[in-house]
Order: sequence, then structure tokens, then C-alpha cells
Amino acid sequence: MAPRAHAQVPSEPIAFAGGRVTVGGDVSATYGSKDPGWFDYTDYEHFALRMLRIDVSGAVHAGAHVTLLGELRTENLGALRPYGLYARIRPWAKRNIDVNVGRVPPTFGAFARRTYANDNPLIGYPLAYQYLTSLRPDAVPASAQELLDKRSLGWRVRYTLGNQAADRGVPLVSAFRFDTGVQVHAASDVVRATAAITTGTLANPLFHDDNSGRQIAARLEVRPVPGLIAGVSGAHGPFVSAIAARGAVGDGHDREFTQSAWGGDVEYSRGYYLLRYEMIVSNWRLPIVRAPTLELPLRAVSTSVEGRYKIVPGVYAAARVDHLGFSDITGSPAQGTLPWEAPVTRVELGGGFSVLHNLLLKLAVQRNTRDGGRLLRRDTLGAAQLVFWF
Amino acid sequence: MKSFTRRTQRPPRTQRTEREVPVQSVIVWLISFVSFVSFVSLAFDAQTPRAGAIRGRVELRRVLSPPERRPGVAEAGAPPGRDLPDLRRSVVYLESAPRGAFETNEGGRAVMDQRNETFVPHVLAITTGMSVDFPNSDKFYHNVFSLSKTQRFDLGRYAAGRSQSVRFDRPGIVRVFCDIHSHMNAFILVFSHPFYALTDGEGRYRIEKVPPGVYNVVAWNEGTASDPKSVTVHDGSIAELDFTLR
Repeated sequence: MAPRAHAQVPSEPIAFAGGRVTVGGDVSATYGSKDPGWFDYTDYEHFALRMLRIDVSGAVHAGAHVTLLGELRTENLGALRPYGLYARIRPWAKRNIDVNVGRVPPTFGAFARRTYANDNPLIGYPLAYQYLTSLRPDAVPASAQELLDKRSLGWRVRYTLGNQAADRGVPLVSAFRFDTGVQVHAASDVVRATAAITTGTLANPLFHDDNSGRQIAARLEVRPVPGLIAGVSGAHGPFVSAIAARGAVGDGHDREFTQSAWGGDVEYSRGYYLLRYEMIVSNWRLPIVRAPTLELPLRAVSTSVEGRYKIVPGVYAAARVDHLGFSDITGSPAQGTLPWEAPVTRVELGGGFSVLHNLLLKLAVQRNTRDGGRLLRRDTLGAAQLVFWF
Repeated sequence: MKSFTRRTQRPPRTQRTEREVPVQSVIVWLISFVSFVSFVSLAFDAQTPRAGAIRGRVELRRVLSPPERRPGVAEAGAPPGRDLPDLRRSVVYLESAPRGAFETNEGGRAVMDQRNETFVPHVLAITTGMSVDFPNSDKFYHNVFSLSKTQRFDLGRYAAGRSQSVRFDRPGIVRVFCDIHSHMNAFILVFSHPFYALTDGEGRYRIEKVPPGVYNVVAWNEGTASDPKSVTVHDGSIAELDFTLR
């Protein structure tokens, strides 16, 4: 008996012009429980557990020194948004140094580079990159009392100063928007270093700057042995928009109200298992103008541990434990001293089954717990996700 | 010299027993036996048809391009250079093998290396019962796996200098991937008979030791198979058969 011969389903990126132009895609369809607690709401204002996401990415190699890269994304068949669009310049063809100019990829942290559904072993995202806090760059609370009043309302929050329309808050780090600026990346077999100057901040990447400052971000990553990756990241930049700062304290102060963050991450894999740990500390300085004032900075600490184990070929199990904690502030006498945002803990368990090598079915259950705030405090959510990529 | 020396040192035989056989008789018997076996063998060979061969060329009207990397928009740096697989190699095989061809199952080993983000060779043709070694010759991890119906396996992540192997017991096409580098893929064609051949860089092939008979022959390249072509192999002769794909 001879092997059955049949045509294979194409599964690679589509290439044109002798490989100088490549187009890839990533489609994920997720359907899960309703989320009345707004635990899985993203900064693109969709629920992560009920989403159809289509990504199309492309690369145009314009010679040995320049590559143009871009990615378009739509969620729930809404507007097609440019997620990233930049030129990658390699000044010396034989040296592993690149300069990226435009809407550049994230410098900070580990998860932001694996936001594609097939890179994420579970369906939900780490809290630091997805959970919306009650902070906004374009609107600020006038007092500690007002900030405490808004705990857990990051999905739609309104403040007295700045833009007074209700809008979403920001996560610690936005994994779903690229910032705009210049980035330099150098790599060897063991060490990779990246630094960038951009218009926005980690929490609020921007295309057009909304204040007079720039963010500086850097990441150093070492790979001492195969399977082990350890990284540290830092970022600092003005967070509050010029309009919100002017509304609070007048002109000329928008550079003073910043987001500063640092993070550490470790990944180790071997055989059939993969372990990841990531911690992020973010500090914000806001213009608080009325009593009760608050102790600055406002701090948020995120800790995430994730693991994946391949049980049999094409089947894996995964889990993530995530916690988001916040520093205490003192509000009105009735409020007392509380974390400025309600702490959140998420435990997500799930697994995946590879139907084809580029078609993956994932199932996951997550338990969310919020310690305070006005919304639902505990919720168990389930979801299924089908992911296809080429 | 040694035997001669030993013989001369033996004590002289003074008496023969009934059970002793003279050396000269043994030699005569042996010569007679060997002559008889040779004669029978030659007579048998004269009646057994001699195996032939099938040879020819597979012309590819269009050679597929090697798979590209996915555009790494989220990566801050350009990926390192890599080797490109040779997609010109085709496999030509008998669709239906002669009777008795399936009885030989000798095992054996083949190697599919992982080198500079490429499986080398890109196409491997083996018989059932063989094992394939997958050494990692890169400085970083690879994770070989296949979800093919013929053989599902996942070798996990392992570093440079390490190797894992898989035994293939069922005939069929096995598509091999790397879980870490999505542009890496390869084919293993597993046959239950030995009548197959890989083409060289110019598309030439030769299937050896084919017993005389009429066969359907198929050419395969990168998932595309030709329609079977009929060919007759005469006693000890070479049949010519060319293919055009795509």
C-alpha cells in the first residue's frame, strides 16, 4: 500500500513579488458568558470573551535595509484600525540593529508581543494588559473622594476635570495599541535590548500627542540557555493630557503628571511544558486639586503566572493566575482608607485542541474576584474560541 | 603457516578407530555438496525473472516558493537569516506494489535535521517500520510535531545537540511542523513497500529492483500527486517514464 497523495491546505503567509511582499492573517472567533462585571472589557471597548477579531499583517521588503510593516485589525466587524504601521531600517546589513519609525511595536513587557490568539494559550488576557482601571488620561478626579467613588467603573467613568464626557479608563499597559515614535533594537544570541521614544504612554499609546512630553521606554532581555528568557522593562512619560492638566492646574504643567512603570518577566520552557511569570508596577501622578488630596503616586501592581502543558499531540492544558493590586488612599470620612481601585484576581483554566496545525479550538473557564467597587464582585465565565492563522 | 606448524607438532597417529573419517573424504564431500547447491541455484535463477528498474524525470512546470515567515509586526527586530528548503525534490512510487513486496520490513533509521530554521531534507521517503531521528542543530529550541492522520506526534521542545526519534508504522503522508517556527515544515512519505525513489536536483529518479510486471506509477511533489501512469517492466530491463507536475 502506498501513501495517499492529496493536496494540502495552504497554511503559510501569502507571498508576492518573489517573497518581497508577505501577508499573514490571524482570525479568532470567541463566544462566552455574558460579563456583567465588565472583567474582560478591553480598551478597544469590546468583551474579550465575545469577539470576532480579524488581523491582517503585511511586510514589504524594500531592499536590504528597509522593511515596511503594518497590521490592520477589526473587532466584531467594526472599523478597520491600523494597529501598527512602521518602517524598519537596518543601517548595517550584517549587524543585528534595527531602527523602527512610525507606529512601532511595544517596547515594554513580555505579553505585548504575543497578543495573537495562537500565542495566548488561554482566551482571556493578563489583567495588566486588559483590565480597565478607573484612570483616564483626558479627565482627572478633583479629589481622592471622587477617585474612590469611581472604583470598578473603568469600563465607563466620568470625572469633574478635563473631558467631562463618560469614557473608558486605561489598563496598566495597553497590549492592543501601538505607540508612535522611534524605536531602536539590538540583538545578539544572548542579549536583546530595545529603547523607544514615543508620543503616548504604556497605558495610553497615541498617534497624535495630547501633551508636550514624550515617553521613554526600554527593555533588556537575556536568553542565557535555550528555553530561558528573562527580561526587565521600564517606561516613563507624561500621562495626563494637556487639556485635563490645564483644567486642573492651569497651563504649563502637563509634563508633571506622569506614568512610570517597570516590569520583570521570566519564561522557561522545556519538553512539553511552558511557564511564564510577569510582574508590573505602575505609578501615576495626577493633579488632585481639592481635599481630600491623596498620596501620590497612585500605584498598581500586577502579578501573573501562566503555565501550559501538552498532554498528547495536539492537546494541551493551561492555567493562569493573575492579581491586580492598588495602593491605598484616604477619601472622605465615610470612605476611609481604601485601595484607589478595587483589586482584582483572576484564575483561568483551559486548554486547546489543534484541529489542524493552524486551526486551534480553545476552551476556558475563568473565575474573577473584585475586592470592592460598585459592580458585580465575583463572576465565573466560560468561553470557547476558534483560532485560524496563516 | 600457523596451521602448518600445528599439524607438524601433532603426535603421529598410529591407529585409526572405526569412527574416524579421513580428511580427504570430508573435502570431497564438501566439494560435491557445494557444486550441487550451485547447480540447483543456477537452474532456479534461470527460471526466476530478473528484476528491472523504472527511471525517468519529473518536470515541475512551477516550483513552489519556500514558505515565508509570518510578518513579525509585533517584534521589535528583524528575524535572523535562515536557510530555504529545496522544494524541487519529488517522490516517484509504485501505486500498487508487486506481490511479496510487503514482506520485507527491516526497520532502519533516517535523519531529518533541524538546521538554521529548516528541516533538512525537506522531503523524506521511508518504509514502514523505520525510525526517523530529528536532531536539533540550531542554538535555540525547536518543537517537531505532526497532526497527520498517518502519525500524530509531538516531540516537545529540545535544545541544540539533542535528538528525538519517531517510528513510523503506517503508510501515508506525514506533514511535519515546528511549533515555535511556523514557517518550518517538511514531508515524510511512508511506504509499505520499497519501490519508491526521490528525484535529484534535476528531477531524475530511478526505482530499482522492480520485478517484471505492469505497474501504476505516481509522481508527487509538495502535496500534489500526478495521475497514475501505467508502465511495463520486462525481465531485467529498464522502463522509462517521465512526469510533468503543475
